[in-house]
Amino acid sequence: MTQAPTSHEATAARVRDVVATLVPGGPREVCSTDELVSDLGFDSLAMLELALALEVEFDLQAIPEDQAVSMITVGDIEALIAALVVEPPAEGQATSGS
Amino acid sequence: MPLTPDDQVVDILENDETYGRRIRGSRLPEPRALYNRWEKQNWAIADVDVVRDRGQWMNLRTFARKELLAALDELEVGEVFVSRTLSTLVCHVPSDADRLFLSTQVADEARHAQFFQDYLHLAAGMETTTSERGAQDEESAYAQLFEPRLRASIESVAERGGDRQAWHAAVVEYHLVTEGVLAAAALHLTRQLAHRLGLVALDEGLTNVIRDESRHLTYGLVATRAAVEGGLREEMAQVYIDSTRAAGQVVVNPYTRAMTPALKPALAQRGALIRAQWQQTKERALRQLRLIGLHDFVDATSEQWDRGCREALAKYEEVWGAPHPSTAKAA
Repeated sequence: MTQAPTSHEATAARVRDVVATLVPGGPREVCSTDELVSDLGFDSLAMLELALALEVEFDLQAIPEDQAVSMITVGDIEALIAALVVEPPAEGQATSGS
Repeated sequence: MPLTPDDQVVDILENDETYGRRIRGSRLPEPRALYNRWEKQNWAIADVDVVRDRGQWMNLRTFARKELLAALDELEVGEVFVSRTLSTLVCHVPSDADRLFLSTQVADEARHAQFFQDYLHLAAGMETTTSERGAQDEESAYAQLFEPRLRASIESVAERGGDRQAWHAAVVEYHLVTEGVLAAAALHLTRQLAHRLGLVALDEGLTNVIRDESRHLTYGLVATRAAVEGGLREEMAQVYIDSTRAAGQVVVNPYTRAMTPALKPALAQRGALIRAQWQQTKERALRQLRLIGLHDFVDATSEQWDRGCREALAKYEEVWGAPHPSTAKAA
């Protein structure tokens, strides 16, 4: 049986879409292991544009004090956004198909 | 090959890193040499053809567009103000050579004001500029925090019939602080941004403006050095120190909400970038002191700059209920 994508995976995919459209050299596919600066060419301006785009895409508000400070790879951003927007499953709810 | 005095005029703003090494101890060009340079460096707004940037401007992303508009707005307000008030200094100059050079500056400032207005209209698509709306007192950090003191200085020159001290005090505030510190920092940053974003007309126009401003700054350095050596050392130092405090407040710009990313890594990076820009502007202010023979006042000026920034940061937090993003640091 095929598992439906989890919220985490769906969020990660949306993050990759946003990053992909803002790559300085022009839109391209990205993967979680891509490094923003060395692989994708993000400079400080592009990083700020990316942050703004993610805020709009995910309706981000206040910054939790324990929010991660590292944003080196696309995967780091996926984890960062997932921690902010993905709700953990309710108690007793199955998390995978049987 | 060593730089000629004329090259040094341009070099003052263009090459921050080598500025001190190349200029220190050198003879600065006299007003007649600056006038000659003006004749050779004349440029026309029409030749820049600002409409070239229209298409690229429409493709700018939110943050870049917002930052550029804010910078161009401030530059436009500053140039319009200068073009309206510089004539008082011209009327009370100490010599004909000064008058001839300052007359070229009046023409330059008019051209700059027009360039920024044309760019905002024709490339950025703005219907009106801040100055045209008469909204500078509400929307411009320079108009709110520095212009009143400069206006008072100019009025003092007129009221005192061109009193030498009053005239030189106004030159310090005009040429050294407004143009040499605030405008120079804004112009350099904006040009870097224009270059990064492929705005060729803006890049070209700003290069021309920076070249013009370099002549104006050099004139200010020459005039102030003469005042310092001619018995007005303490007075010029005091004006410079006081103005630097106000300049620190202008760069913080407490009445405008700064872009504050919600993602901590981006916020930390933004904080670091802003702090680096302010530090560079401060260093420009301190370097100028050495050129006019006021080395002894570097520490006092540095302290007043920091004080101005602190005051403005506190005001920002009071106005917006949140710390300025410049205070954000990586954990």
